Amino acid sequence: MARRACLGLTVILLFMIGTLPILSMLMKSVVVDGHLSLASYGGLLVSSHQWILMGHSMILSSLVTALTTAIGVPLGILLGKTDLPFRRFFRVLFVVPLLIPPYIIAVSWLDLLGSEGLLAQLLGTAVIRATAPMLFGLPGCVIVLFSVFLPIPMLLTMVFLRTINPRLEEAGRLVSGWRGVMQEITIPLILPGVLLSAMLVFLLSFGEFSVPNFLRYDVFPVESFTQFSAFYNFKAATAAAVPLAAITMVLLLVEGVFLRDRTYQLRPSPGLDGQALIGLGARRRGLLLLVAIIGLVVVFVPVVVLVIQSAGLTAYVEALSRAGDSLLRSLIYAVIGASLLTVLGFFTGYLIQTKAFRFWRSVDSMTIFLFALPSTVIGIGLITLWNTPWTNFIYSTPWIIIFGYLAKYTALTSRISVTQFAQIPPSMEEAAQIAGARWFRRMVFIVAPLARRGLLAGWLVGYIFSLRDTGITMLVYPAGHETLPIRIFTLMANGSPELIAALCMVMIAATLLPPGVLWMVSDMRKKAVIG
Amino acid sequence: MKIVHLDSVSKLYSGEKILDDVSLEIDEGERITILGPSGCGKTTILRLIAGFIAPDAGFISIAGSVVAQAGEIIKLPEQRHLGMVFQDLALWPHLSVAGNIEFGLKAKGLARTERQRQIRKVLDLVGMLGFADRRPAELSGGQQQRVALARALALEPKVLLMDEPLSSLDLDLNIRLRQEILGLQRKLGFTLLYVTHDRDEAFAIASRVVLMSKGTVEYDGAVEDAIRQFKG
Ligand SMILES: Nc1ncnc2c1ncn2[C@@H]1O[C@H](COP(=O)(O)OP(=O)(O)OP(=O)(O)O)[C@@H](O)[C@H]1O
Ligand SMILES: [Mg+2]
Repeated sequence: MARRACLGLTVILLFMIGTLPILSMLMKSVVVDGHLSLASYGGLLVSSHQWILMGHSMILSSLVTALTTAIGVPLGILLGKTDLPFRRFFRVLFVVPLLIPPYIIAVSWLDLLGSEGLLAQLLGTAVIRATAPMLFGLPGCVIVLFSVFLPIPMLLTMVFLRTINPRLEEAGRLVSGWRGVMQEITIPLILPGVLLSAMLVFLLSFGEFSVPNFLRYDVFPVESFTQFSAFYNFKAATAAAVPLAAITMVLLLVEGVFLRDRTYQLRPSPGLDGQALIGLGARRRGLLLLVAIIGLVVVFVPVVVLVIQSAGLTAYVEALSRAGDSLLRSLIYAVIGASLLTVLGFFTGYLIQTKAFRFWRSVDSMTIFLFALPSTVIGIGLITLWNTPWTNFIYSTPWIIIFGYLAKYTALTSRISVTQFAQIPPSMEEAAQIAGARWFRRMVFIVAPLARRGLLAGWLVGYIFSLRDTGITMLVYPAGHETLPIRIFTLMANGSPELIAALCMVMIAATLLPPGVLWMVSDMRKKAVIG
Repeated sequence: MKIVHLDSVSKLYSGEKILDDVSLEIDEGERITILGPSGCGKTTILRLIAGFIAPDAGFISIAGSVVAQAGEIIKLPEQRHLGMVFQDLALWPHLSVAGNIEFGLKAKGLARTERQRQIRKVLDLVGMLGFADRRPAELSGGQQQRVALARALALEPKVLLMDEPLSSLDLDLNIRLRQEILGLQRKLGFTLLYVTHDRDEAFAIASRVVLMSKGTVEYDGAVEDAIRQFKG
């Protein structure tokens, strides 16, 4: 009973927080003055302006997807399967851009290459005049989003590589070199992962609007945002959000048909410990150089530029005095968001893994859909549903921001839980059941402790994504409740580059705080065990 | 009175009949081994009795009350008061040996001193008294086996289910543990339902042998008759 009640509650919560806003948004967009009408859509997709925006969105997402896949997959193979030196360091390095709000990378590039940037100061403005225009518009957006989303194909490639039974490759090695094994065995086996990552990158860059907005490249999600925030035309904003939802839906249906059964549950293959790494031999140095250059450009330079730009105490003092309150809020909301996401993801993952309801697959699809949905759509949905006199206790409080986190990011913690549960034999819980323990006791004392690594990973991912959220928060935050990414975003219009750089550094520090603490604690424990 | 009764039980998986009209009556204190080739449905029978799955047809009763019928679990596993040793043992790796045994005692609401007493008692029974504070990973295969047995016996169940508990051990240890299980059963008097695919093991432990094949009972009789019929 407790089990059904708790899991049922989880589903209802997900529905209320995630699905209902989207549905109510759809409903309201087709009802005008109490009648069914498509009037709100009147202006949509008939003006050439809209089509241009849509075209921009498509071009940007396609380019970013192609580029990240072409480089991220080989990178994942190099870092996950070969004897490349420093591969552990690179694994961490390349993930950094994914952890911070994407526009921070854009800020950094502007600080370096802009007409008043570091290079201009160093080499004179004449040299830089050629590069500055490149930074704005499509090329700049592609470069920034490429560095932000490169970790996705890289990580997914590494994860899928770990699910391959090494025996399959060894069997191939007996008759062929690594090149043949890669082509004929390994790559085909990780293909679902590659396609999944390509789709994710496409959808995420399609929905991203802070970077195009900052680098002045007009894309479709910006339209929804401007209609809402500049013209207060809620109907038009909604109508512009609907095509985004439709495109997301179509892509996910395609994924569902072709990939779902192969990607929703990933377990590391047994026998990985004895797995042989591919020896790179003579190519080791060349490849190391190549990876180092990519790392330098994509991660190292942007971060170092921010460090240089913000150097000195004054910038940080000003940063904390102007944004100290939003930093504190950000930390609190992110901790609350991460904790709730962990709990919600635990139960959602559990109901998916145990197929507790006949509609478990729909629950999974729903969370994935919400994750892939552009933030503007979720934001507008939340406003439609909660902005009523009766629900002001949610709408005018930070809870609306937390709701946004839960709606968008539950897929992450739920998938992490599913992966973790898949590694726990069902007999663990069954043995507890035979011993007379009711469901809740089994969850608390057996399942949760066994899943603790997944729970911790889920919490960290939940924290990072809540902290860096810009899209939803921007739309829904109540007056006086700005988070740090929002404050930075609004200060960017008139703040000095030093201040912005310092704020970006503060943001990075806040992101790395919990993983850093965790790393130190586990390091101390290790030392305590040895000493 | 029958302690366990399967009445014309069938079980389907994706349309395929895994168990076909199986009936089994078990008296208190019997030692039954279910013997049969891989995939014939032995584990499925244990899981039905334990209450992890519901039958698609027929009834299951324990100690005179119906616990499951077609498509419905009436009593949940935690309400059936059975002991079970799993094929993979399922010792909880995050708990010590004592913690593994204590879990069920806690769930039952026993006081601390009572729990300690019971932990010592069952560890003594299986000869593992000195190992209470170890983690399962710090034990040998045979020792893990004994802990799993102790855990299953901690709540003094009337019926003990065992699913190929010795199949991963070498022959020497296998034979020694058979004798220990047999000794414990004689001492404590529980009803034993023991699944194996090994004939010698089955004959050594059983007072009665049930031979299964492709989801049906082929033979059901006293161990002496079974030996006469199938050995030699
Ligand atoms: N959850 C399940 N879904 C689908 N089929 C199942 C499931 N569990 C068991 N089966 C099928 O039911 C049949 C009987 O399985 P069972 O585990 O009872 O066999 P067994 O006699 O215990 O075999 P073994 O000696 O290998 O353990 C097998 O064909 C198996 O594939
Ligand atoms: Mg079995």
